[in-house]
Amino acid sequence: MSRKTVFVDSDILVVGGGMGGCGATYESRYWGRDLKIVCVEKANIERSGAVAQGLYAINCYMGMQWNENQPEDHVRYARNDLMGLVREDLGYDIARHVDATVHKFEEWGLPIMKDPKTGKYQREGKWQIMIHGESYKPLVAEAARKAASEVYNRIMVTHLLMDSKRPNRVAGAVGFNVRNGDFYVFRAKAVIVAAGGASHIFKPRAVGEGMGRTWYAPWSSASAYALPILAGAKMTQMENRIVLTRFKDGYGPVGAYFLHLKTYTQNAYGQDYEAFWRDSIEKMVGDYVNHHPVPTCLRNHALLEEVKAGRGPIRMVTKEAFKDPHKETIGWENFLGMTIGQAVVWASQNIDPKEINPELTTSEPYVMGSHATCSGAWASGPEDYAPAEYQWGYNRMMTVEGLFGAGDTIGGTAHKFSSGSFTEGRIAAKAAVKYVMERSNDRPEVSEKEYEQLRAVVYQPLENYRIGRNEIVAGTVSPSYILPLHGLQRLEKIMDEYVVGISSHYTTNEPLLTRGLELLAMLKEDLSCLGAPDLHQLQRAWELQHRVLASECVTQHTLFRQETRWPGYYYRADHPRLDDKDWHCFTLSRYDRQTGRWEMEKAPVYHIID
Amino acid sequence: MPTFVYMTSCDGCGYCVDICPSDIMHIDTTYRRAYNVEPNMCWECYSCVKACPQHAIDCRGYADFAPLGHSVRVLREEEKATVSWRIKFRDGREKNFVSPIRTTPWGSIKGPSEYAPPSAAAMSSQELAHEPEALKVDVLPTLARSRLKKGLV
Amino acid sequence: MHNPFAALPASIPPIAMQIYVAVMFLLVVFGTLLDLAHKGSAKYFFQHRRVASFGARRRVDAGEAAALAAETIAVSVLAAGEFCGMLRRVTHLLTMYGFVLYVVTTAVMVFAYPTAAAPGPAILSELWYLGALLVCVGGLWFWLLQRVDVAAEGHSPFRLVRADLFVVSLLASAAFALIWGGVQAAGDHASANAFFGLYLLSNTVLFGSVPWSKFAHMFYKPAAAFQRRIEHASGFRNNLPAPADRPVGFGSARRQPHNY
Repeated sequence: MSRKTVFVDSDILVVGGGMGGCGATYESRYWGRDLKIVCVEKANIERSGAVAQGLYAINCYMGMQWNENQPEDHVRYARNDLMGLVREDLGYDIARHVDATVHKFEEWGLPIMKDPKTGKYQREGKWQIMIHGESYKPLVAEAARKAASEVYNRIMVTHLLMDSKRPNRVAGAVGFNVRNGDFYVFRAKAVIVAAGGASHIFKPRAVGEGMGRTWYAPWSSASAYALPILAGAKMTQMENRIVLTRFKDGYGPVGAYFLHLKTYTQNAYGQDYEAFWRDSIEKMVGDYVNHHPVPTCLRNHALLEEVKAGRGPIRMVTKEAFKDPHKETIGWENFLGMTIGQAVVWASQNIDPKEINPELTTSEPYVMGSHATCSGAWASGPEDYAPAEYQWGYNRMMTVEGLFGAGDTIGGTAHKFSSGSFTEGRIAAKAAVKYVMERSNDRPEVSEKEYEQLRAVVYQPLENYRIGRNEIVAGTVSPSYILPLHGLQRLEKIMDEYVVGISSHYTTNEPLLTRGLELLAMLKEDLSCLGAPDLHQLQRAWELQHRVLASECVTQHTLFRQETRWPGYYYRADHPRLDDKDWHCFTLSRYDRQTGRWEMEKAPVYHIID
Repeated sequence: MPTFVYMTSCDGCGYCVDICPSDIMHIDTTYRRAYNVEPNMCWECYSCVKACPQHAIDCRGYADFAPLGHSVRVLREEEKATVSWRIKFRDGREKNFVSPIRTTPWGSIKGPSEYAPPSAAAMSSQELAHEPEALKVDVLPTLARSRLKKGLV
Repeated sequence: MHNPFAALPASIPPIAMQIYVAVMFLLVVFGTLLDLAHKGSAKYFFQHRRVASFGARRRVDAGEAAALAAETIAVSVLAAGEFCGMLRRVTHLLTMYGFVLYVVTTAVMVFAYPTAAAPGPAILSELWYLGALLVCVGGLWFWLLQRVDVAAEGHSPFRLVRADLFVVSLLASAAFALIWGGVQAAGDHASANAFFGLYLLSNTVLFGSVPWSKFAHMFYKPAAAFQRRIEHASGFRNNLPAPADRPVGFGSARRQPHNY
């Protein structure tokens, strides 16, 4: 079937139109008035990404104007929550700019709640402010549309293209139009990857329709990782997956409950259990147990142990708080503006928090870079203060020249959330504009051979299905191809059983991880036999490809780090303790596309000293 | 909570197909109306529900864990910049909520090109667009390189 | 313009054409009733109506219901108000009025003026041609550009699925009508007979496929639209929230749904 090829040339290509991508698009235009800025998104930037349904809080705001917090405070907070291991240079950089981002959001029209007494932003907690954010994404998309030369919706980017003249430099990307199947070749001087992290790489708790109710958006298909990995960029902290304690089944958020409504948890018998586990946690992680606030993973750990001990389900005590009508409204609107599914679950089961203390549960693990977790690409830091080991050129540039990242794509920058991701997009954009302007006559070259080879690869699943379909009468079972859902379910089962999922109580060891790699290798081989009946399934096929590669990276990192740094996220049963002697460091990996080999190394951690 | 489309309300306009972040709202080949083709990839984000001009899309909680008889419906009114919710429990109890969604008119954001172009000094500084004014402090904070120390502290 | 049916009695007696037209009409009636019975959709409709009346917050009296019925006819039927997009509404209006014009004039010509001796006033056949032309213009425009599976989903305009049965047979009927009329007026009787055959075939498919096509939806939609108006007036609103009691003034962000 002949498919049209569309060439799109630009100065800066932003891959992904979520919070990070919209920030990058906006800022690129500010600094590059005459540059061609293109944003490409596999869905529609109006509602794409993790903020599709809105948010009820902005979880990263300093409040410097009111002396509420300083950037250093946020770095210490993130460092503490991640058990010491964050890129403090990158974190400080986001924290010092994020207030400006939030103020622009307000100016653009985001309704931010105000404290009636002081007129300041209504704080939910030390770092969080409350918003009426149902239209957070459309607002930010409007800003991006006013900045971009062109926005391409419904184009799934499958691969980055490399410069054929110089090694280790990016030159653009290829992808396909999910609607009409056209092949797209993007040629750019700089590429900013701001795609989605990894949901659906571990088996979720619900496996029917309920599979869709993941905590992190199901369309986050790890493109943020697979695209740089394939380009040879170094990745960091990919073992640092996050497990979330949230309301049962709907995974509705608990932040406003803990911080604003002042609710708390209890086991099934009405007992406070966290203190009970303190000593055993101290045996695992030492002095970290005394840090305030208690790191997220350690709170998870206490809950997991309590449930294993048979005293679940754990409940959120809401009956007192919900008697206050204002708090009751917040409790419900918290879901409606952020995770509508939780309101649906409670309505369906007649759960009114005034009468029932709702159940909590821990989710399956996710790998992403903007929450209480920081997996992603290893990036260069800010020029004004980053140590030499963290600085090799432009801010937020990866170890591949011309390749920048923002949002879930970048590793080491925990607790940035939506505002921080948008801010990181802005940081990467300014650096990318500088990069482009300083190379006005030096354009990377895309090789026709490379993109023609990729074209065949991109559409292969359609061809596999078309031909293989002739062998069977009907149905989904074929000996020669697998559907994307089959591959996804196999991946989720492998990761669940071997690489730390819920069925193993988040525990693994070297023999399990090694076996996991063997099974992943066979799955990778089978990916060449993916069969896609139509373009929608072709998109699913490429989402799976990205997920499998990211999962392989996660497994390699999990094997490499021989300690249990974040009990409550995952446990290495063969190295059950935190080991600051050997492992107070970042893990880095680099994938060789030709040999399929992973090179692992350690990188030092720099801390801001008082 | 996967979505479903009411047969007699859908007029086949395609707004849901266009907006769905998961690419799961598609057109049925018998009726040329919309339906959810992959409920197990539906996040219940309600983007399609809100986008439908005919209010033809509704949600039913995931069959894995949501008993029948509930209803969570939304009315997003751009002209008023409000979103209204009506929640009905399985046992008939009802809760209603209204929230603002925007404080400025749609389309009113000032594009970055409408600002004065940045100076060369601004370009070479660490400041992002609209800084330091947008920070609402005098100066963009920075660190001395000596403040960062390698290793365990 | 001449009445194309007037030349037929040379080969087909008028009574045969009249029986044919009557059969087509009955096919629509029985096809719709069969569809309703087979699917149980009428039973569903009345079940839903009961649920709606239990959920009502206020009574809608006969006078109000009559006004809502009139509104349904005026807006949903005559002005194609069920289409939210202006272009789709326009193509539907062209096709709908064209179809009505063409069907009514066909019936009049076949029953009242079926012979060459008394072919009827010229205006009748002019309206017949106009009606068929409107169907072709509106239908082709819809077919190539407005169909949602083409416009929003990106399918080829030449992809055929069951949902296309109604509009394709309608377009074929109108197109063959025009060609037949033109060829016959030009005097080429052999070709005229061939096109007349195709015209009859497409009509038979159009009216005979009612249980399988979207034809009957032109009757269901207004009924559903009326029911919806009643539900909104009664406060049930099918569980939708009531409009917010807030001032307008923010404009709209709605963009065309073809963003790819």
